Amino acid sequence: MKHYSEEDLIAYQMSESPEARSIGEHLEQCAECATLAESIAETLRVFSAEPVPMRTPVDMDLSWQRLRGNLAVLEAAPKKRWFSLWMWPAAGALTAAIVVMVVLGLRIRHAEQPAGGQETANQRASVTDALKSLVGRHQQAHPVNGHGPLTDAPSDDPQISAHLDSAERLLTTVNHEEGPLDEATRVQAHDLLLKNAVYTQTARDRGDLAEAAVLDNLGRVLIGLDHAAETPRSTWQLRLEMNTDGLLLDLRVLRQNDERRSSR
Amino acid sequence: MEKAEKETIRRVVAGDRDAYRVLMDRHYAAVFRISFRITGNEADAEEAAQESFLRAYNKLPEFRQDAAFGTWVTRIAMNTAMNLVERRNRDLSVYAPRVSDDVGEGTVQVASHRAGPERVLLDMETATLRQTAMASLTPMERTAFTLRHMEEVGMAEIAEALGVPVNSAKQAVFRAVAKLRRALEPVAGGMR
Ligand SMILES: [Zn+2]
Repeated sequence: MKHYSEEDLIAYQMSESPEARSIGEHLEQCAECATLAESIAETLRVFSAEPVPMRTPVDMDLSWQRLRGNLAVLEAAPKKRWFSLWMWPAAGALTAAIVVMVVLGLRIRHAEQPAGGQETANQRASVTDALKSLVGRHQQAHPVNGHGPLTDAPSDDPQISAHLDSAERLLTTVNHEEGPLDEATRVQAHDLLLKNAVYTQTARDRGDLAEAAVLDNLGRVLIGLDHAAETPRSTWQLRLEMNTDGLLLDLRVLRQNDERRSSR
Repeated sequence: MEKAEKETIRRVVAGDRDAYRVLMDRHYAAVFRISFRITGNEADAEEAAQESFLRAYNKLPEFRQDAAFGTWVTRIAMNTAMNLVERRNRDLSVYAPRVSDDVGEGTVQVASHRAGPERVLLDMETATLRQTAMASLTPMERTAFTLRHMEEVGMAEIAEALGVPVNSAKQAVFRAVAKLRRALEPVAGGMR
């Protein structure tokens, strides 16, 4: 009998499964899956919502006073959508196929580039280019000479996953953002930058040049964001525009690989 | 969006800072609630709520009024609260307890059979266990899970607020449940 995976059963218990009916039928007959499903249901019960603390009118006054102290008088900003061109690629099969090829192509290109090299729009490799590079992939992999300040050493894989998570989210947020970067975003970029240097080094030490190359590229984008306050807005925006969409895909692929590795 | 709210926003954008209190009063509970779910404690929830309203205020001139202000600020809160969890994790990562993905090693040990009088103790241990287990999630997993499971927010909305594809949000929720289930195994005894 074919059993369902834990993930299938989690989806089922959370009413997110596309095959709820067949799973339901299977659970009637299979004690093993039924036990696992019950264990999942129990987990969901244990982690159900707790009451939210009440906010008294006094609390509200205090909250308002704190907030009020931070409010600057607003000036109506000119409407400017500088990143309206950015759209998530549709997840069609064709797109997915092209994406995989371009990502592979980009990775090889990253690996070939010395760190700090300027990236151009050409970098969005054509599919042909990507395929060509793909053929010579293993012969062409050169070490990447990235650099960056070392801070704390990462201890394990979950941290890398979390790092990739955060990076992906930060870039996506920035891509969707209008207007100048706010302080919190810049602080976050800075923190990620410090960590990223460590992870890049770790990947390189491990001999994972593909991962090192992607992280290295991420580092360059993060430097751009970190310095966004000092440099003219057009500079980092341009840089971001040229770098992030390929990079986001790279990050996603990397994270999935990472998850697969850690689930083995 | 409601007319009165539009008018309030117009006044704030025109420079009337005190008018913002109307918006805060009306939407603070929802923002605080979301923040509390994600951060898991009152102090951080308050901080995330504050920051969300501040961010919303600073972005108000660019706010397109086709969406409700409440929806918008709540979405900002989802992101802000997750960033706060991230900062906290970073500060604590050196010594925070970690629930291992593997059964046995590093998991929190809680006795499985308790007599009635020790019920209170068990409850306390359960609360600690819950917290420890939640702390083992990445900020993304924690946020996606609490929003989906505790607040019953739809996957599409979660994904949009967190700026990730729907499938990533789903995966994060499923990973979270799997990790939490493993964290419970020492207490759950016979369960797989
Ligand atoms: Zn089965």
